[in-house]
Amino acid sequence: MPDIVLSNVQKSYGAGSPNAVSDLDLHIRDGEFMCLLGPSGCGKTTTLRMIAGLENLTDGEIRVGEKIVDSPARGAFIGPEKRGMGLVFQSYALWPHLTIERNTDFGLRLRKVPKAEREARVTEVMKALDIEKYRHRYPSQLSGGQQQRVALARMLAVNPGVLLLDEPLSNLDARLRLEMRAELKRIHAAFGTTIVFVTHDQWEAMTLATSIAVMNEGRLQQLGTPNDIYDRPANRFVAEFVGSPPINILETATGHALDRAASHWLAGRLGESAGVGSVGFRPEALQIARSEAAVPGDSFRHAAEVTGILPTGGSWIIELKVDGRALFATTTECPVLKGGERVFVHARPTAMHVFDAAGLRLAGADDTLARAA
Amino acid sequence: MATSDAAVAPAPVGGARWRYRLRLALREPTTVIAVLMAALFAYLIVVPILSILSDAATVQFGDERRTAGETGSFTAYYLYRAFASPVAHDLFWEPLLNTLKVAFGAIAISLSVGGVLAWLIARTDMFGRRWFATALIVPYMLPAWTFALAWTTLFKNRTVGGQPGWFEAIGLSPPDWLAYGQVPITIILALHYTPFVILLFGSALRRFDSQLEDSARILGAPGRVVALQIILPLMRPALLSAVLLIFAKCLGEFGVPYVLGLPVKFDVLATSLYRSIGSRQTGVAGVLAGAIMLIGVLAIMIDAHLAREARRFVTVGSKGAMNRLSRLKSWRWPASGFAAAVFIVSVGMPLLTLALSTVMHQPGSFAWSNFTLDYWIGRDLPTVAMRTGILLSPDLWQAALNTLSIVGIASVCSGILGVLTGYVVVRTTIRPLAIFLRQVTFMPYLVPGIAFAAAYLSLFAVQRGPIPGLYGTTLILILALMADQMPYASRAGISAMMQLGKDPEEAAQIVGAGWFRRMTSIVIPIQKGSLVTGILLPFISGIKGLSLFVILAVPATDVLTTFSLRLVDYNYTQAANAVVLIIAGLAYGGTVLAQRLTRTNLAEGLGN
Repeated sequence: MPDIVLSNVQKSYGAGSPNAVSDLDLHIRDGEFMCLLGPSGCGKTTTLRMIAGLENLTDGEIRVGEKIVDSPARGAFIGPEKRGMGLVFQSYALWPHLTIERNTDFGLRLRKVPKAEREARVTEVMKALDIEKYRHRYPSQLSGGQQQRVALARMLAVNPGVLLLDEPLSNLDARLRLEMRAELKRIHAAFGTTIVFVTHDQWEAMTLATSIAVMNEGRLQQLGTPNDIYDRPANRFVAEFVGSPPINILETATGHALDRAASHWLAGRLGESAGVGSVGFRPEALQIARSEAAVPGDSFRHAAEVTGILPTGGSWIIELKVDGRALFATTTECPVLKGGERVFVHARPTAMHVFDAAGLRLAGADDTLARAA
Repeated sequence: MATSDAAVAPAPVGGARWRYRLRLALREPTTVIAVLMAALFAYLIVVPILSILSDAATVQFGDERRTAGETGSFTAYYLYRAFASPVAHDLFWEPLLNTLKVAFGAIAISLSVGGVLAWLIARTDMFGRRWFATALIVPYMLPAWTFALAWTTLFKNRTVGGQPGWFEAIGLSPPDWLAYGQVPITIILALHYTPFVILLFGSALRRFDSQLEDSARILGAPGRVVALQIILPLMRPALLSAVLLIFAKCLGEFGVPYVLGLPVKFDVLATSLYRSIGSRQTGVAGVLAGAIMLIGVLAIMIDAHLAREARRFVTVGSKGAMNRLSRLKSWRWPASGFAAAVFIVSVGMPLLTLALSTVMHQPGSFAWSNFTLDYWIGRDLPTVAMRTGILLSPDLWQAALNTLSIVGIASVCSGILGVLTGYVVVRTTIRPLAIFLRQVTFMPYLVPGIAFAAAYLSLFAVQRGPIPGLYGTTLILILALMADQMPYASRAGISAMMQLGKDPEEAAQIVGAGWFRRMTSIVIPIQKGSLVTGILLPFISGIKGLSLFVILAVPATDVLTTFSLRLVDYNYTQAANAVVLIIAGLAYGGTVLAQRLTRTNLAEGLGN
């Protein structure tokens, strides 16, 4: 399948309502496993449906290779049935009146594939997804996980160039979700299909995708590999959306003691005029020392009180307070702390994410801090 | 579809944008079908209503001298005549007052009786509650004037001629107020609409979460406080909705007041309208029909407003709903006795009376020699007309055939149109079109059947343009019935399509299925059940319907209901009662069949 290119895509559901998608540029390369990640209502599903052709654009253009599939300005639109893509719906959308087999071979019948070939293909796909034994059952007789596989099989049967997945795992329980995630990775490797995957679950995005597009309020926030997204969030939204427990953010402009300390510490290293708006450090980068002497010299530090220790099985979330402000730290070593204990929290300069007043990552701050360390 | 794209568009490509929109709109036939259907419904629903309203304000043929205007010119004469002239009292105000008296009386009785029954059935351990749950709904499956005929069979006195009632026959002469007019009409309508309360109130009670009640009890609230401050406020929407629906139904009720009101000149709006049409006062009929519509619209609007308010009560029917039954203890038997009594009065007695009356020569005489099957299967009876038993009368079979073909064709059409309406309303990208279709198909609901029939008469009685006069044909009945059923059919279709959602169809689209393929392989097979319901339910209500037919049918197009009404008019009591029993049997059998076929509860869809 050729690359899919979205240029300056706009989508609005009628005059007066805010744009569901604005100024979206996205290049999906052949064989990529791309995740559209964002909170509900951020426009990710709309984007997926526009790629599929189930929604039309308000402005902009979508190309598949050299072919324009949707462009209001050129009056071009190719219907979803002619785009040769596959889409797995969040609700699975299996046809309740058809057996699993008929659900799966529906597309092949439409394409008038000869019977023998059709059956061979259906059997192959069903076997790959382990649903062959349910061939003659109806969707209502299958569990959620099995239905999910059928929905996938139905699309894979016609061998689509692109597989679009709209939160396909959100209705599954935790264990099945893990299994299906592995399944999707395997399919991606085995079939070499381009996959575009919509999810609001960062964990899913991090584990599956080769690249992640983080969206918010209809706009693309950052496009990058999972590590990029986590380690170098482009703005505060991305930093705060990705990661659990969430990143600790200190706003430098407030009068809070902790914020003032951070502001002062940063000014000492980046200069007064650096334009720092806020600084964040992830819970696993926030370390705890029982005395100030144990804090490495170049780290940012502050006194704090331990207010809660929450075991999560194999790791711990430690909740701390500084003058009523909550901070979270995580550790994989059994903490020896007690609730109410006075400690020092500290963070390495290289663990700091510095943002400007508009919330964008402060270019240059990383290098300066790295040199300082 | 976005209309703001012109704003974002680069200027030189305006033409391409229109091409784009046109391409999207015509890519699938949905829009074309929607436009065609909008035109059809505009003609079948909007135009007749406009026509009768314009009748009310234009000089009718023959009234030129009285109105001092040309035929067709504007006049306020009919408004004056109906509302302010010396005859206005008899034409409008008295019937209006009677309608209100009867409606509110029926509402009060059916609420108190139905409310108690609903609670007993839904929330107590009364004996036989499952059986009663079905049995007490039966009155609604029967035509209302079945009870009116049963009533006259029992209580008719010497005020009018023909065969006397049973009480008169054994020497106990019932007074006029008991035999005719407000009292019997109120009681019969109350009995007929009590199932409504049982269904609506009962289902709200069933969905009521016992945990809400328990929470109050745990906080120490006594039973009275729980009932008044927790249950009743939450039940209010269901109660009000029942009240308004009964009111709207009473407004259009024709058969009962016709049979029971006429002897004592007790007119309601529906019968007054019927008389105006009968006496060719087309203009006044237009005014009366307009007034009935207006009151109907007001009632429905109040209902819709209250329903919106009621959306605040989202906890009713929540997921964790628990339904705990109250223990009646020593009240179990009396409670069942009460339910049984209501059943006997509202189903047992009327049907038994009617059935017996058809096999008795003389009313009220239970001597063995008085019984006969002549009225069913006899030959050479000593009467002027109807010289054979009803089952041997060709008129009955003609009427039955007419009923089946007229009601059958209309139901099939409205069922199919309903599913199609559902489809295009949910799918079309042109929102105003969807809104128009949704509203226009709902309009007949606001218009009581008798007014709607009058509207059809007004439009189709004479040739207009290429459409010939349809009065006296079966076609006008089919069209009117079809349009009259559209509210239910389209609502069923829309809700079925909403429930189905877009996903299954879009999935087919993704794998390459075009519109036609998706319709035949996906949409229609999935919606098969709702299509069957959408045909059967209108069919059942059409069989027992009277008010549409009474205005539009002529002897050649008699259906069973109008045929029996004609027999009543000619005082062939036994034959009339026999026909009504046949109708009741068909309606009941049809309902049970519909329930079997669709595996739905009787409770659903009986709003027709």
